[in-house]
Amino acid sequence: MSEKTTRRQFIDRSARIIGFAGIAGAAGLLARRATGNAVYQVDPFKCTACDLCRTSCVLSHSAVKAVNDFEKCGYCMLCPAYFDVMSHPDEKGIPAGKVCPQDALKRRIVGTVDEDDPNNNYYEYVVDEALCDGCGKCVKACKPPAGNGSLRLEIRYSRCVECNECTIQTACPDHAIVRVVTPGLPPKESPGDVEHV
Amino acid sequence: MATNKREYVQSAVLGGSSSAHPFRRSLAGIAVGAGDRIYALGDDEVRIFEPGGNFLRGWKALQNAACLTVDSDGRVYLGAPGRVEYYDAGGSRAGGFAAGEQGKPANVTAIKVFRKEILVADAAARFIRRYDHSGRQLGAIGTRNKTGSFMLPNRWLDFDVDSKGEIRATDTGRHLVTTWALDGSPRGAFGKFGMSDPADFVGCCNPVNLALTPDGKVVTGEKMVARVKVYEPDGRLLAVIGPEHFDPDCIHIHLAVDSKGRILAADPARREIRIFSLVANTGVNKPVHPEAFESSVNGSKWRSSAYE
Repeated sequence: MSEKTTRRQFIDRSARIIGFAGIAGAAGLLARRATGNAVYQVDPFKCTACDLCRTSCVLSHSAVKAVNDFEKCGYCMLCPAYFDVMSHPDEKGIPAGKVCPQDALKRRIVGTVDEDDPNNNYYEYVVDEALCDGCGKCVKACKPPAGNGSLRLEIRYSRCVECNECTIQTACPDHAIVRVVTPGLPPKESPGDVEHV
Repeated sequence: MATNKREYVQSAVLGGSSSAHPFRRSLAGIAVGAGDRIYALGDDEVRIFEPGGNFLRGWKALQNAACLTVDSDGRVYLGAPGRVEYYDAGGSRAGGFAAGEQGKPANVTAIKVFRKEILVADAAARFIRRYDHSGRQLGAIGTRNKTGSFMLPNRWLDFDVDSKGEIRATDTGRHLVTTWALDGSPRGAFGKFGMSDPADFVGCCNPVNLALTPDGKVVTGEKMVARVKVYEPDGRLLAVIGPEHFDPDCIHIHLAVDSKGRILAADPARREIRIFSLVANTGVNKPVHPEAFESSVNGSKWRSSAYE
């Protein structure tokens, strides 16, 4: 009787162990997948474009880039993120200086072009990510009330080398670098310019 | 012709957090009715104040309304996304209609009444629509220029109409105050971009708001450097009010002017209405508030307040 009970107990225990192992394995797999798709990203509502993204990233050319949200962009002729509006105006009254020290913010006329009067044109602004170093000067200049707030900083996953502890996150005084789960990540670029830290 | 500079002083503040009737969530528009009663749109309510600031009455209004006006009979008109509603003097709904076109609702940012017409600023279509009270569109204002519309990077269009039906409207992307006949014929414009001369308009898109005084002066509201300015009809600057009176982050200063020429400026960021009374035409070339003028002239001060 006791031998029969022992066998039953053995089978019961074995089944339980196998069941738990299966559940734990599945949970582990899911957790691994979840963390595998988690990336560091900039929370635009916390970000103050303080310039630390440019200087704190382990990459010599930061993984943080400015991006323009075209839905919010006003397509201004006198974009305060493009022109240094405080710079001396040229003969047409347009500021001669630009905000971006890298000249990474580019613009082109969209729609009907008026060659005579630039005030009659709408301009589309795009960031040349090869030039952008993530300093955030354009983002800061675009914030309301000066602009519509269409420019924001983003960590480009394709460039991010996923440090165990993101150095920008450590440095960010606004706690604007957060970990978010993102499905469908793009392929990595070769991190050819990683500095040894 | 010599221009007499004007001098204003702040005479009252309505609706601030310490007032008996504060606007707790929003302050979206302001108008002046018969007897200089003040009509304000905030917290999804229409609130009426005596000229001195005492609260008279209020009523629940159309949700998400962005602007209001009042006619000589006390009828109140509200503009909301894709919609115009009007109420009798007691606050009962008297009518309304859809504004815009099928699939393209108007983004109503300003509304005025001229005789039997309701004029509606549509910042989505970027022109002013003329309606009768049944909602039949009678015409458009602002389409007869090179681009066929106003340039509105900040998606806001404001205007006012004088007793003869002449319309002054903001063209923010071009940094202009434009003048139009009721039939849509252009009558001229003044203004240009500039960061150093206080007569110019700053930033990407200004002036944002506009009202007319009974004697035909043009009152403008600006963002980025939050201030109110008064111009002669031909564009000569008469007065600068602010920026010390307004929240530096406000993107609108809604404006109205009463029969005595008092300027009512509603700051949605602080949810308060400041009233500025005309003290005198000083006839001298000095600013209303010397420190404000100094701030306007000194570019580096602007920079520190706007960008750092």
